Amino acid sequence: MTTKLSAATLVLALGSTLSLSALTTTAHAADDMQKCYGVAEAGKNDCAAGAGTSCAGTSKVKDQANAWKLVPAGTCLKTPSSTSPTGFGQEAAFTAKS
Amino acid sequence: MMTLSSLPAVSQAQAPGLPGRAGLGLKHEHFIEVLETSPDIGFFEVHAENYMVAGGPFHHYLGLIREQYPLSLHGVGLSIGGEGRLDRAHLARLSTLIERYQPHSFSEHLAWSSHGPVFLNDLLPLAYDSATLQRVCEHIDQVQSTLKRPMLLENPSTYLQFQRSTLDETDFISEIIRRTGCGLLLDVNNVYVSCINHQRDPQSYLDALPLHAVSEIHLAGFAEDTDSLGDRLLIDDHGAPIDNAVWQLYEKVLAQVGPVPTLIERDNQLPAFSVLLAEAQQAERYLAQVSP
Amino acid sequence: MSLQDDFAAALLAPEQACPDGLFSINGADPASRFAVYRNNVHSSLINALAAAYPVTLQLVGEAFFRAMASLYVQAHPPTSPVMSEYGGALAEFIQGFEPAQSVPYLADIARLERLRVRAYHAADCQALDQQAVLLALQGQADLGTLRLQLQPSLATLNSPYAVVAVWAVHQTEGGLATLNPWHPQGALVLRQGLEVKVFAIDPGSVAFINSLAHGNALGTAVEHALEASTEFDLHQCLTLLISHNTLTHLHLEQKVSP
Repeated sequence: MTTKLSAATLVLALGSTLSLSALTTTAHAADDMQKCYGVAEAGKNDCAAGAGTSCAGTSKVKDQANAWKLVPAGTCLKTPSSTSPTGFGQEAAFTAKS
Repeated sequence: MMTLSSLPAVSQAQAPGLPGRAGLGLKHEHFIEVLETSPDIGFFEVHAENYMVAGGPFHHYLGLIREQYPLSLHGVGLSIGGEGRLDRAHLARLSTLIERYQPHSFSEHLAWSSHGPVFLNDLLPLAYDSATLQRVCEHIDQVQSTLKRPMLLENPSTYLQFQRSTLDETDFISEIIRRTGCGLLLDVNNVYVSCINHQRDPQSYLDALPLHAVSEIHLAGFAEDTDSLGDRLLIDDHGAPIDNAVWQLYEKVLAQVGPVPTLIERDNQLPAFSVLLAEAQQAERYLAQVSP
Repeated sequence: MSLQDDFAAALLAPEQACPDGLFSINGADPASRFAVYRNNVHSSLINALAAAYPVTLQLVGEAFFRAMASLYVQAHPPTSPVMSEYGGALAEFIQGFEPAQSVPYLADIARLERLRVRAYHAADCQALDQQAVLLALQGQADLGTLRLQLQPSLATLNSPYAVVAVWAVHQTEGGLATLNPWHPQGALVLRQGLEVKVFAIDPGSVAFINSLAHGNALGTAVEHALEASTEFDLHQCLTLLISHNTLTHLHLEQKVSP
């Protein structure tokens, strides 16, 4: 009941509070962090062999590493962990499992 | 079944056709540079599948570039050599693209890439026997009647052969062209790569093809590897400048076919646009030698 | 088994032998040449995933990502020849992939990256003029029954982790040291013109936008938002939506006169 009432109140107030200048300010503020990432890359179709791999040795079997023995080793290790006692990374914990 | 084989192959494949100049594969990395600099280039070619999206920047930029340049639509996913039926949904997507961009040419590969529901994302080799020939011709007939235009078929780069094959690749291609009336997209790099890999003389390979049907030429670079015996194994990776041996072969082809539209392909290790433009200009110098 | 049955099966399973009936003219082991095809299939698909999930890759490193992607490729080979669509199930795969559990926010980052690719290629749709939207809202007595139609590129994501913050910190140099991924964050993804944009939004806004997207009227959408979060700010959320040209149609519910 209370949500219904406040929902109605919110909607009612809307028409008088929205303005073009508020829109512009919001757009600018929100876009400040968007500067350098407008492009989203996806997979592409190619008619060449080994798209994106290095030229040499394309016939050699790659990408066969055993993921189960691998440990994430990217930027995740630099972000503080919620669980690990050191506060950084989970490398030790994960290696112990494999 | 409708076939177009009663029509003369050369005229239908070339009119309205691409200009007898050098063109470049259009990469999205170069969209803005192309629009800003309007390079003097004969045409652009795109991989059809990369534009099978609803909207957004790819269509935006291709639309603008199409206003300025002739366009070749090059399919890489139709799986014309597949054992199964052609994917009707994919053919419909091609129809839609052709309707939208009115390309001067549509081409696909002598290869398969789909099997059952799975798309394998590579141009896979065919056994050259009569059953495969029949199937490929039926598929090409279906493509040409659905798209209401002749298509060009590209000769492949291959790395091994099938014991089941009863025909030479060149005889196989010649027969397809005779039966379906499709044009030939002669990939000179693929000729060289396959001939080295299968110990065949490239010139004799070319002599065995119906060169009168060549409506477009592809040039690209290859990567070099070795097989289990340590012999040269060339890989069509489109990741390097065009090899000298391929340029020489190209010059010989042009002497026979005249100024045929020639595409420079580079899909890997993409260099600056100016590097590709220089290769296109080199092709145009060869084209000028055979132009009337 | 047909020839292509054998060939396709051997391509997809790395441990399977090279199919019968193949040869090299020089007598070389056909397996050494078949490997070219097998490697092209796997590498090209892994490359497609690496291109579409750049931050997911950075979070775990190249070696881990490619090994994980290799297993994904075997479990979920493409079913469409359109490669920009490939990898739609990667986030779900990561969710159930034991070695990735030490990076709990990895699956949500992959979800966010997929939404960005979808937005990038989504259908073009003419947005309503901002001034016209404002006039329509201001002059409307019965705003609660208004239905707002949104751009096809627009999508949301609710996460128990700070997905937008984690993702955004990988778009620029530095900032990792001060990053705290351990708080919930919603994401709004949209394409404005040619640019894909990502905004951090609260759970109320996520509920509001999802409700609108389901075709609910403004009043109902606000109720849903307030159920999700009592701190929902309708004014702020609507301002964000209008200012980024996400509204494509306004419909008023037809009232039948007595």
